Amino acid sequence: MMFDRVYRQRLEADLARWESDDVITPAAVAAIRVALPPFAPGINIAVVVAIVGGLLIAAAFLAFVAAHWTEITRLPRLAMLFAGILSAHGLGAWFARAGHPVLADLCAAVGAIVFGAAIALVGQMYHLGGDFAGGMLLWAVGALATATLTGSRGALAVALAAASIWSWMRVLETDVPHFAFVALWLLAGALALAWNSRVAAHLVAVAALPWWMASAFQAPLDFRPSFILANGAALLFGGGIALAASPWPRAARAGSVLSTYGAFSLAGVAILEATLANEVFRTRAAAGLANQPLWTISCGVAGVILAFAAIATTRRAGTAFAAGAIGLVLAAVALWTPPQSGEPWVSYAALLCAMLCLVVSGMLDAARPRIVAGWLGIAGVIAAITWAVKGSLLNRSIFLAAAGGFAVVLALVLNRFVPRSRE
Amino acid sequence: MMAMSVASLAERLARIPKIVLFGAAALVQLALLTLMIIDRAQILRDGAEVTLQTRPVDPRDFLRGDYVVLGYDITQLPAGSLQNEPSGERNPPVYVKLAPNRDGVYEALSVHAGPVAVASPEVLIRGRLAYGASCGPKRDTFCEKLTVRYNLESYFVPEGEGRKLEDVRNQGKLSVVAAVLPSGRAAIKRLLIDGKPVYEEPWF
Repeated sequence: MMFDRVYRQRLEADLARWESDDVITPAAVAAIRVALPPFAPGINIAVVVAIVGGLLIAAAFLAFVAAHWTEITRLPRLAMLFAGILSAHGLGAWFARAGHPVLADLCAAVGAIVFGAAIALVGQMYHLGGDFAGGMLLWAVGALATATLTGSRGALAVALAAASIWSWMRVLETDVPHFAFVALWLLAGALALAWNSRVAAHLVAVAALPWWMASAFQAPLDFRPSFILANGAALLFGGGIALAASPWPRAARAGSVLSTYGAFSLAGVAILEATLANEVFRTRAAAGLANQPLWTISCGVAGVILAFAAIATTRRAGTAFAAGAIGLVLAAVALWTPPQSGEPWVSYAALLCAMLCLVVSGMLDAARPRIVAGWLGIAGVIAAITWAVKGSLLNRSIFLAAAGGFAVVLALVLNRFVPRSRE
Repeated sequence: MMAMSVASLAERLARIPKIVLFGAAALVQLALLTLMIIDRAQILRDGAEVTLQTRPVDPRDFLRGDYVVLGYDITQLPAGSLQNEPSGERNPPVYVKLAPNRDGVYEALSVHAGPVAVASPEVLIRGRLAYGASCGPKRDTFCEKLTVRYNLESYFVPEGEGRKLEDVRNQGKLSVVAAVLPSGRAAIKRLLIDGKPVYEEPWF
């Protein structure tokens, strides 16, 4: 919505300029304005003030209840919690009926938050504080049910946040990944598709990141976090571009969002892998590739397969470069394991090439976030190579000079043979 | 196929009046909260009564907010035959066989990785290991000593009363009557000071 407004402002400025430069006729300007769809109803200042007022009243109610909580007997307390949930949803229904979808969404989200608070307070009243993670799961299930029924993006955000905390707590209890979260995440993904909502797709994509981080950093000591994260990023990015290549428009839109997070994850992993070459961070004496978990390797392989499926569908060079970036990052983390002596020149080179592929892929597919991710990755990897404590500074300067020279030669060749776009 | 079913589901939901959908969302949440309460009430109603002796716990964990942390004589146990057996996870569930002593207070007889048969007046209580499942070279076997949590460790009290209970507990005068279902799940039923009830938990 915000971007729609920015686009309209820019279009209006362009139309005025083109009209004054006689590029288009006034009739064409009028026709373009008529052809534009009407603005979606947004949040005006009155609504913002109303939201602030509502939040203040809710805070005052909570403070009042907290001040008198111990004086209230158990059943009236329970009745107050139930009334809080019913009020939030009742207000939501009223706003939805009155044609205020944003406020209805907000009320459903507040209802989901009150539900979470109610779980904590019921746990306190009935001495059920033993399984905090179980309480989080209950909260996530209730909030997801609310999101499904009311279409509230806010309730979906609450559900994913609660589910992430639940997953993090369960990961602390065991050495194996918490796959139960994946089932809940897929349900949230199905909701994002059913709603055809970009906001929901962003929420679902963001929720994948803490799960992968938890899986990587809570794993047994002979597993490498950067290896696990690289395979996760490969699956996110590969899955994203495969979905984006889907003929179903809803899936394609969700896929483009997922691929953005996948591209940034891939860049983050490249920087992490180059940084972990630094002896300062060699805290985990990692074992070789053969000792890495099979499920992780399967995810990486699946990411590559999905990327190739996307190439087969789109037959676009940009997608091929994206697949190349995935393959090179996976190759870099597979080729080099920290206990090795010497410096990981091949891995450094693979990581730099991967980030270059990411930038080129973004340029060819006109995917700006992918370009940004690629440039950030290049900057981060170069910084990590330059400031690594390991080995000699002279060797690193030779490597960087050789890589720079290769890039300049490549640029000259491309400049000679690739037709340049008109300035 | 899946694309069509997701889209048709979204369309069907969109046709239902909003008031019904919001009402259903509220009902789902209220039902889940009610289930929490009924589940506990069922343990209190059907569970066998077991008196457990509390013991002092680490002073740093005494009181957080308005609840008392309760440690029991059955919290720390020798692993017995479980020692060096594979634990499977960091906090595995365990089953502790309890039997009453001459004073009627229940004491631990043995610890098991799964449910075992018990004969009256013995009771089997289910707990989860807090510590003691990470021994051996691969840190995946049961240790010699186990620390078990039974979901009976928190008791919320009115503000200001925690300190009094804490003092009584440290003098060894506080005991807890827990209700334990045949499945091993337990809930606090009443608190006793010198054998006399001071807090009785209503079902609701």
